[in-house]
Amino acid sequence: MDLLYGLLVGMAMGTLLQRVGASSPRMITRNLRLENLSIIKFMALTIAVGSVGSYLLQLFLPMHFVIKPLYLGVLAGGLLFGVGFAVAGYCPGTCVVGAAEGRKDAWFTVAGGLLGALVFTLVYPAVEAGLIRPWNLGKVTLADWLHLPPLLVALLLASLLVTVVWRLPTVSQVKP
Amino acid sequence: MAAPQATAVATLAQPNWVRLGILFGLLSTLSIALFAPIGVSTTYPRVVGALLDKLMPGFEHASPYLSQLGGAMKGETFLVVGLLVGAFVAARLGRSRVSEVELVHANETGVSRRYLNAFLGGFLLLFGARLAGGCTSGHVISGISQLSLSGFVFAAGVFATGIVTAKLLKGGR
Repeated sequence: MDLLYGLLVGMAMGTLLQRVGASSPRMITRNLRLENLSIIKFMALTIAVGSVGSYLLQLFLPMHFVIKPLYLGVLAGGLLFGVGFAVAGYCPGTCVVGAAEGRKDAWFTVAGGLLGALVFTLVYPAVEAGLIRPWNLGKVTLADWLHLPPLLVALLLASLLVTVVWRLPTVSQVKP
Repeated sequence: MAAPQATAVATLAQPNWVRLGILFGLLSTLSIALFAPIGVSTTYPRVVGALLDKLMPGFEHASPYLSQLGGAMKGETFLVVGLLVGAFVAARLGRSRVSEVELVHANETGVSRRYLNAFLGGFLLLFGARLAGGCTSGHVISGISQLSLSGFVFAAGVFATGIVTAKLLKGGR
């Protein structure tokens, strides 16, 4: 059943990412240069709705939450990922979307990604000792850390995100 | 060059991201209710493992990393298949034409340089995502939506170097 759910969620996600323009490397680099914030705002709204939605539904349904652990490699990996994100103009999901909609360079990002995943697999034992085991704080949420109910934290986070999205101009007025 | 670029900005600058962002938030909630949070990057090593296992039987089992991920028959793998199908159909039904290649950085004077950047970027993306245990979807969208501290830390790292790199690579474009 999970396979079918995965397929359907993926199809909907592919449609949304294609329509919002997140699979355009030009759009992504404009967002990262802070000239156009539409994709960053799209992500912020997604998080605002997703956090309130999932912690609200948790009151009525069993939810399949997966909290990922925090360790040194999360920051190191994020820093590397950011460089790749800017250089490629894609992320691991949007390059798949881009490839499907006919972008030729997106296939190169998919291929580079497969090689990156292979190299990571091969060097994993060394990486695990140096970057994954150190500073492992475990699977912690902001709600655990603040000792507050998750739904309350989700509502606070969502209001903060919506306020920022509302206040900031989407397209920068200043000529860079 | 100038005209299609201007049209692209005009269509993409419309705030349809508000509607689409709300829909994506509902989809992310639905995904957690149905089977698991949305995530993409684990599929890359799973696909690599499945392919290499065909060439070198036992490769997946012998690798300490791949054996802990399990095989490729997972909901997440099918999510990536769904991305291909959904994006293909959405692009065919859409009115705006998708350009085959967009040159985005100052050093991209030709298509081959764009391909090289796309490839190198892809390498860093997946090495970084696997090191961190997630990517834009698993850590940023799903992670922060679940209020996971690791999602906030990953996102801070991504935007710190992402913004600096994108600004440094900008030329006259």
